[in-house]
Amino acid sequence: MNRKHFLSAVIPLGAVLQAAGGTTKEEPYLAKIPPYLKKGDTIGITCPAGFITLEDIQPAVTKLKEWGFEVKIGSTVGKKDFTFGGTDEERLQDMQQMLDDRQVKAVMCARGGYGAIHIIDQVDFKKFVQKPKWIIGFSDVTVIHSHLNKNFGIASIHSKMCNSFPSDWSKAEPVQIETIESIQKCLLGQQMTYTALPNEKNKTGIAEGILTGGNLKTLETLAGSKSDINTDGKILFVEDTGEYLYSIDRMFWNLKRSGKLNKLKALVVGGFKVKPAEDPADEFGKNLYEIVLSITKEFNYPVCFDFPVGHQKNNFALKCGVKHQLTVTATTTTLIEIK
Amino acid sequence: MIKIPPYLKKGNTIGITCPAGYMAKEKAQTCIDVLQQWGYQVMVGKTLGSDSQNYFSATDEDRRDELQAMLDDKNIHAILCGRGGYGVGRIIDDLDFRTFKKNPKWIIGFSDITVLHSHIYSNIKIATLHAPMAAAFNDGGYENEFIQSLKKAIAGKKASYKAAVHPFNKTGIATGELVGGNLSLLAHLTGTTSDINTKNKILFIEDIGEYIYNIDRMMHQLKRSGKLDKLAGLIIGGFTDMKDTERPFGKKVYEVINDILAGYKYPVCFDFPVSHGTTNYALKVGGTYSLKIDKTNVRLMEVQ
Repeated sequence: MNRKHFLSAVIPLGAVLQAAGGTTKEEPYLAKIPPYLKKGDTIGITCPAGFITLEDIQPAVTKLKEWGFEVKIGSTVGKKDFTFGGTDEERLQDMQQMLDDRQVKAVMCARGGYGAIHIIDQVDFKKFVQKPKWIIGFSDVTVIHSHLNKNFGIASIHSKMCNSFPSDWSKAEPVQIETIESIQKCLLGQQMTYTALPNEKNKTGIAEGILTGGNLKTLETLAGSKSDINTDGKILFVEDTGEYLYSIDRMFWNLKRSGKLNKLKALVVGGFKVKPAEDPADEFGKNLYEIVLSITKEFNYPVCFDFPVGHQKNNFALKCGVKHQLTVTATTTTLIEIK
Repeated sequence: MIKIPPYLKKGNTIGITCPAGYMAKEKAQTCIDVLQQWGYQVMVGKTLGSDSQNYFSATDEDRRDELQAMLDDKNIHAILCGRGGYGVGRIIDDLDFRTFKKNPKWIIGFSDITVLHSHIYSNIKIATLHAPMAAAFNDGGYENEFIQSLKKAIAGKKASYKAAVHPFNKTGIATGELVGGNLSLLAHLTGTTSDINTKNKILFIEDIGEYIYNIDRMMHQLKRSGKLDKLAGLIIGGFTDMKDTERPFGKKVYEVINDILAGYKYPVCFDFPVSHGTTNYALKVGGTYSLKIDKTNVRLMEVQ
């Protein structure tokens, strides 16, 4: 063996060992997992972003009670300040109350929309950090997932929210039932496994790492802020809806240029509902697969497409901040929580 | 210290390239004619009116190569971007600015060209020109004061712009280097190597065609990434063709911006003529300006 080569191989090993010792504050080796729920525990419902009526959360309330949980409905449900579920002050207070209330063992965001960014810096996480609980939601709630991951290393659940619970369970499609029941499984602490259909565009491989991610646009707008995630050594998942292809391309460039794609263990691409160009002459000319494969071509880690996460019925509950193993082969994609 | 490229003299050559979206050559013809009437020679790149069949004016490699060639060519004294669109972010890290740094020249454009302005300001420390591009010359546009401001800027005439007062303005005087451009791009560049430091600067922003909630979100990104804290002054340009969601956001775009600025004491002016509309004065990114806002006047003057 070439001596110089040998030496260069030794140095990074030492660096890895040091990182594994958990000395860095912002990147704990293992995330803090909030206690899982038991029957009889209380789940709080709050609106950190968009508004929702009391009526529209009833299907979720009914189902959570069927699962054996108590439900505490926050003061923001039914409140409306234009697009928001109450004023910033009202949403902040409700979230704060849910975080601090010891009876509440998990907090489900009623819906996304827009607005979590208005309150995140005012939320006092002191009690929450001492006694973590599960925060549940996706889309705009990516702000909260990212903030918890970056600042406290506390796991949270990226999943459907109250507005996705069907009002008539008997008419729900199997995938709706399965994805909503995946929230229950997460909350009860069952080991999660997910499968995705094979896709010939996938880059195969096996990877292990903490799962992090969420809505791509939201991740981009968190760049440079104190809620900006560190993706080194992690499995990153992204999804989005209603964006132009050029904008999706630009967001992936933001990930790349802010160093978020360089040291991934794997990239999981969920659903992307693409908005067509207003003027056909402005058609981007590259599809999602081409955009992602082009931007990740220099990286060897596995990449999978069409993973069941996103603004769609096929949106399974994922534990952000928890270690997972992703296996992408020509015939299957599986994601397994590592206990 | 930011270096100011040499101003143009009659007979100098302006190169036109399209580093981002596609542009038909006819749409740049008036611009070419007018630049020649101003006494300059014009070198047109192959990316203008190319045979590209997609969104971009050419492949990433061809767009980069052409811009690189124009940056390095000593016989080109300024580079006017034909149009913006989207695409500079895909090539910016592959450009070599070493020759340009030794022999700076004016790079002109706005919108997606904000990537070049920010990157060059932060990394190469050369002033650039945020100004109308080729299409703005059409339909007699070359006669308006905004295209004329570009003509004066490249010839080295110091700018002194007036703007109408706005009820949200915060009065005061600020002096500092001018930085900024398109808000979407500034937000998008946050956390990258092209990100700008806005401390003690006069920041200007403008945007087009965004949802109001998204403007709000981007303003929060600027705030949360520390870009609004220590400004010398802030210039809010045009926010044209704003869209609202089905459930209305409940505020107009300037109200959104004004609300986020509550608590900051530096001078701010609204509706300054820098925008995707006609009203778009040439501004030197990296140039030092004095911004004076009082109850009856808004004035932005070049200091040196």
